[in-house]
Amino acid sequence: MDIIETRELAVGYGDVRVLDELDLAIPAGRISVVLGVSGSGKSTLLKTLAGLMPPLGGEVRFAGAPVDYYSEASLRTLYGKVGVLYQGGALLNSLTLAENVALPVRMQFPEMPLGVVEDMVHSALAQVGLASSAGKHPAELSGGMKKRGALARALILDPEVVFCDEPSSGLDPITSASLDDLLLSVKETFGMTLVVVTHELRSIERVADRVFVLNDGRLHFCGESADLVASEDGFIKTFFLRKDGHDDT
Amino acid sequence: MTPGMNGPDPAAKAPETLLLPRRLRAPEVPGLFREVQRRAEEGPLTLDFREVEEFDSSALALVNLVRRLFPGVEAVNMKGALARAGESFIERPRPAEPGPAGRGWGLGRFFGGVTDAFLLRVKAVGRFLAMFGDEIYHLGVYLRERKGVYPGETWNQLYFMGYRSFPIVCLLIFLVGVTISITSVEQLSLFGADVYIADLVGLAMLKELVPLMTGIILAGKVGAAITAELSSMVVLEEVDALRTMGVVPEKYLMVPRLLAITMAVPLLVAMADIVGIFGGVLVARLTFGMAPSAFLDQMMNSVGWSDFAWGLIKTVVFGWAVVVGSGYKGLTVGRSAEEVGRATTESVVLSITLIVLIDCVFAFILY
Ligand SMILES: Nc1ncnc2c1ncn2[C@@H]1O[C@H](COP(=O)(O)OP(=O)(O)O)[C@@H](O)[C@H]1O
Ligand SMILES: [Mg+2]
Repeated sequence: MDIIETRELAVGYGDVRVLDELDLAIPAGRISVVLGVSGSGKSTLLKTLAGLMPPLGGEVRFAGAPVDYYSEASLRTLYGKVGVLYQGGALLNSLTLAENVALPVRMQFPEMPLGVVEDMVHSALAQVGLASSAGKHPAELSGGMKKRGALARALILDPEVVFCDEPSSGLDPITSASLDDLLLSVKETFGMTLVVVTHELRSIERVADRVFVLNDGRLHFCGESADLVASEDGFIKTFFLRKDGHDDT
Repeated sequence: MTPGMNGPDPAAKAPETLLLPRRLRAPEVPGLFREVQRRAEEGPLTLDFREVEEFDSSALALVNLVRRLFPGVEAVNMKGALARAGESFIERPRPAEPGPAGRGWGLGRFFGGVTDAFLLRVKAVGRFLAMFGDEIYHLGVYLRERKGVYPGETWNQLYFMGYRSFPIVCLLIFLVGVTISITSVEQLSLFGADVYIADLVGLAMLKELVPLMTGIILAGKVGAAITAELSSMVVLEEVDALRTMGVVPEKYLMVPRLLAITMAVPLLVAMADIVGIFGGVLVARLTFGMAPSAFLDQMMNSVGWSDFAWGLIKTVVFGWAVVVGSGYKGLTVGRSAEEVGRATTESVVLSITLIVLIDCVFAFILY
């Protein structure tokens, strides 16, 4: 089953269509990887799918129902079903790690007993290996810890889909591999759907069930990761020869 | 599972059974907790998980909390992950209080064409007014429902806006009081009318100088800080993150600041009025030996409570303009670090412009 489907989707800013004519099918309970050079619109696509910006054309269906980007109720429902891991983590600097992770619960369910919130936060942090840093502020955490903390925050309300924008950018290979493990375990334990932007071939081979390659404003390739590796396509081949796993946008 | 023994009524009463619903997720948990709490106090209770099929981490956390708080409550028919819930949690200490911070990075962008620029201006004014309306709405809803804002944030903001602005406001207003007194005494004494210094300083302070100076200091101190903080949150995607967490950033970020400024301004104005007038008293005493009590008596002849009240109301409106104006500048920033700096300077200009415009409007209304 596909949890997210798009038809003729166009995304961008104002009049600028960054990506056009996208027909995507994101399989439920799997990890889909989105690939593309810097500036190809991966973040823009993720933001659109997460309901943060309206598409410039076409349609997005979430679990079979079309998303109405101009209805607050529809967006609210969508926000209740997705979690997003932003490129820089986007933990709020004014709150501690634990408060950051608790934030979605406290804001969406203000009546939740504090004890329940604390246990949820603790188990979410334990899951990403950060239980001992709960009281620290984001400024005191390393890049990899921030990302893991942000993942805990994205997971705390058990979303159906988690979007991860370059979870491993700026991380050393070991930390980035452990983040991959984390994503895999999230998929396996909770049956969550993950949509991950990444550049690292190694991590694609490990985690990806389906790969979408964006190029030149269009969907360039869509298939299994094995097909991607075996692909004779010129763009895909240069992509992996030239790419070193870093992106700055 | 911990065997329980300290129920409130350990008499030989058959435990009641609470059959839990099929769906046990975050929306159901608060109500269920209240129910468990109520019934656990009445007597022994058994939670029956037979029907539970759908649950999430908040349900696991609930099970864990209930076990800790009410050891007398029994749980039966738990399956799989629910059954393991008790083992996967560990006690942890409460986190510390938050403190503000912010930074930014990113790309650049530019606008081209005079018409485009003009249209953008018009649109910007429209967006600003729309935001102003939205904020009033959010504030109203918040005051009614008390939801969607981080607990305690208003007090943090009040501390920053009131307490931290207090010394600078007092110092500057005192100097302004001294300065206008010295300047006016010289002129007034030419006509032998030195005693009117009291009326002049009193009126000028309460109605114009204190509101204006306080507004401008707030624009530079509070407004700039708001824009810098919010715009770096935008650039760092924190505002997007809030939105996908189901939080309305325009409410979460702005309502505490609006409430705080509304509380801070009256305190600042009252202090500033006193300090400014004290500057006048001091000058009158030192230059021509006017007794402070005579100064105050003279001042009361022409200055009334309504002058004080209008000055205060005006300053509160200035404060709102500063908060909404700088919040608007912060939340509509582009994507790069340079824009954080630019938005911050623009925000100060916008706030001061708004203050002067509003002052003008008040002048028409009041005189
Ligand atoms: N807020 C914005 N306003 C206008 N253009 C933007 C904005 N954000 C990104 N863009 C442009 O959209 C394109 C895609 O950006 P992005 O989705 O961030 O790329 P990626 O994540 O693949 O590196 C880029 O050309 C970028 O300059
Ligand atoms: Mg990106």
